[in-house]
Amino acid sequence: MTTNAIVRDSSRLNAVISWPAVPIEIVRAAGLRPIFVRGGPGGTATTPMADEHLEPGIFPSRLRYLVDAALSGRLDNAACIIVPRTSDPDYKTFLYLREFVRRGIARSLPPTILFDLLQSEGPDVRAYDAARMRVLFDELASVAGRQLSLDDLRQEIVHTNAARSAVRRLAALRKPVPRINGVEVLPLLSAFWQLPPNDYVSLATGAADEIAQRPPIERPRVMLAGAPVDGTALHAAIESHGAIVVEEVGPWGSGAAGDDVDCVGDPLLALADKYRRDAIGPRTPIGALRNSIVRMLDGIDAVVVSLPPEDTVFGWDYPALRDLLQARRIPHVCLHGDPCQPLNSADHARLETLTGATAAVGEAGHA
Amino acid sequence: MPEASDRADKQLGATMAAGAFQKEWFAKLRRRVFDNREPYALVQADVPFELFDLVGIPAVSNQWWAAIVAAKRQAPAYLDAMDADGHHDGLCRYCSLGYASTRYCDVQQPPWGGLPTPKLLCARLTCDCIHRVFSLWAEAFGSELFEIDHPGAGDLPPRWWELGRHRWRELVEPHRLAFVVSTLERLVERLEAISGRQLDRGALRQRLESVNQQEEVFDSVRRLIATAPETPVRMTEQISNVMATQWVRGTEWALAHARAFHDEVKHRVEKGIAACPGEQARLMWVGAGLWHDTDFYTAFEESHRAVFVWSMYLAFGPDGYIRYGLDDPMAALASRTASFNEYLHNPPWAAEWIVQQARDHRIDGALVLRPRSMKPAGTGRLFIERALEEAGIAVLPIEGDVVDARAWDAAAARAAVKSFLETRVIRR
Repeated sequence: MTTNAIVRDSSRLNAVISWPAVPIEIVRAAGLRPIFVRGGPGGTATTPMADEHLEPGIFPSRLRYLVDAALSGRLDNAACIIVPRTSDPDYKTFLYLREFVRRGIARSLPPTILFDLLQSEGPDVRAYDAARMRVLFDELASVAGRQLSLDDLRQEIVHTNAARSAVRRLAALRKPVPRINGVEVLPLLSAFWQLPPNDYVSLATGAADEIAQRPPIERPRVMLAGAPVDGTALHAAIESHGAIVVEEVGPWGSGAAGDDVDCVGDPLLALADKYRRDAIGPRTPIGALRNSIVRMLDGIDAVVVSLPPEDTVFGWDYPALRDLLQARRIPHVCLHGDPCQPLNSADHARLETLTGATAAVGEAGHA
Repeated sequence: MPEASDRADKQLGATMAAGAFQKEWFAKLRRRVFDNREPYALVQADVPFELFDLVGIPAVSNQWWAAIVAAKRQAPAYLDAMDADGHHDGLCRYCSLGYASTRYCDVQQPPWGGLPTPKLLCARLTCDCIHRVFSLWAEAFGSELFEIDHPGAGDLPPRWWELGRHRWRELVEPHRLAFVVSTLERLVERLEAISGRQLDRGALRQRLESVNQQEEVFDSVRRLIATAPETPVRMTEQISNVMATQWVRGTEWALAHARAFHDEVKHRVEKGIAACPGEQARLMWVGAGLWHDTDFYTAFEESHRAVFVWSMYLAFGPDGYIRYGLDDPMAALASRTASFNEYLHNPPWAAEWIVQQARDHRIDGALVLRPRSMKPAGTGRLFIERALEEAGIAVLPIEGDVVDARAWDAAAARAAVKSFLETRVIRR
């Protein structure tokens, strides 16, 4: 669903969320519908009201759309806006939204909630996150006007775990033997965040059954690294050059589900552990990200590193990633444009060179 | 900040003393580290230095070191090396210049012999990049990194400076305060293990009382500057004196130097000595300093009698640091640490405070830094600019980087300011 479609559909049940680092289990247990704001594929839309107030080059497209929707009254009917503290631009968006109301720039906004999830590795962080999870649980119960129990939450965790399992099955059809291209599979994977779990299981299982019957796709297998992309524009660009995207760093693709959440003990603590560990974004610890990239590189022929203009973080990881790729003889290319926008001709030329080199390496390897 | 640029005239004796102290302090640090193998720490400017000093571990500020490198005109070579290694040009240069001077130390000899290997690095995770930069820096040194995470504020009192001194428990939500206290307690454990010395809680309380006294002195200096008919001390010299003491705040030297600075400013006010006699325009600088071109701040005195009166460096001392009620000194310290530099950039805090400061200082025009690479510090800027304009204060945005001189067009920036002064500030 595009961002514009999301905001048109806003209703009293919608919890509009800026990034998938918010536990959808709690949102759904409260009877709310998680709606995630994304930069694409509707990324060509303009955001004139946001542009008046957001400094350029700092906020990614998804946040500009969120602010534009908020300022133009398109979120007035949402139940709430939830912003996780998993990146500086997200946190600043929370502060800005509150300031718009204080200054009368926004007529009114639904309750705007900061979900203060920390991701550093100190021993105090775990307890802090669990406490914030409890606060979110209470806040959403209040927003929804419901009495919530931990058993309600456990039940939602069980349902969502089933959806996580369905995501993993779909992801397995991308690697090591790809049977579906990235443009087609990304919407299927990312729907995990928005569809009710039972609906998602049904959809994803049906899709997986059908895809499993397809023949393998024999094209250079590309991984997307750098800043997470939330749309298919970059996948489409890469695949237009004869490659196939089979893996991406970020919460929208194969990494959407991760491992199941344990629902035997304290579900709030289990969710805190899960989201602190698995939420992918600018505050994901460098060591954890490096380790997961090393695992993801198995079976990869080439890597595209997306470092968009607002990046302040993933560029720091690049030299080490480059050294790793060179050591493993995996060609790569860096792209610096907004991944929600069409690529320029220079970037297309880089992709052409990359896929050409990959094909040549593949042929040499087969010879 | 380092001492003001060697090329800038210094009008105060205190400024010379501050510069000499910093140079000697760093030389002594190097002797302690290299000759005596004593530990030291490399830290972000917003961590509580007091805890380090009280267990005998000197702390060097990343921002101070970056400013030294920039003021010595050495930043371009390190930043070129960083670019050549594949770091794109949108990454923050201010917080990473120190790292670059370590990682790419082969490109040139760093100032004053360079940073020795620290025993510990410590950073508060304000901006998203800090974890990255300090992790890489710790790897480059082979040193340990201690991180103070940064919970986000949900309660946002706009006039924060009215709560900070006496009602600081209301300024920071209890869960954030408890989190920072517990993190600082862990930091103390680590520092005690490194130094072999126990933190004396009574000494911590005394140190924070001394910090309060130091900042009260700065508050008095601020009032002198705000109320004098013409500003008695240039902004650059305010910064040199304030920051030399802030890095060792609450120590005997710091308090003595703050008082000496105050007395010299007071003497100038009493004698009617102005930094720029015949003052025509009072300017404020909003943002971190242009450390590679500090002469910029005195460039309009002769031509337009326009003088920079205000920057955050002096003003933030009394409003950001003073904490009365030190029964629980660690909680008081945590309340300062919890939000610290957010007040300088983010809505609602920054615009409210800066407008108040502009009014108090009778500011005619504000130059607001639009930082090229420090993106988190660039947020909130539009709120600040609009609030100033609404308060009747003309604003000129200045695009630049505080340490990276490579894209800085000094002549163009000066021309823009002159035009701004002539068209919007000075009413003839």
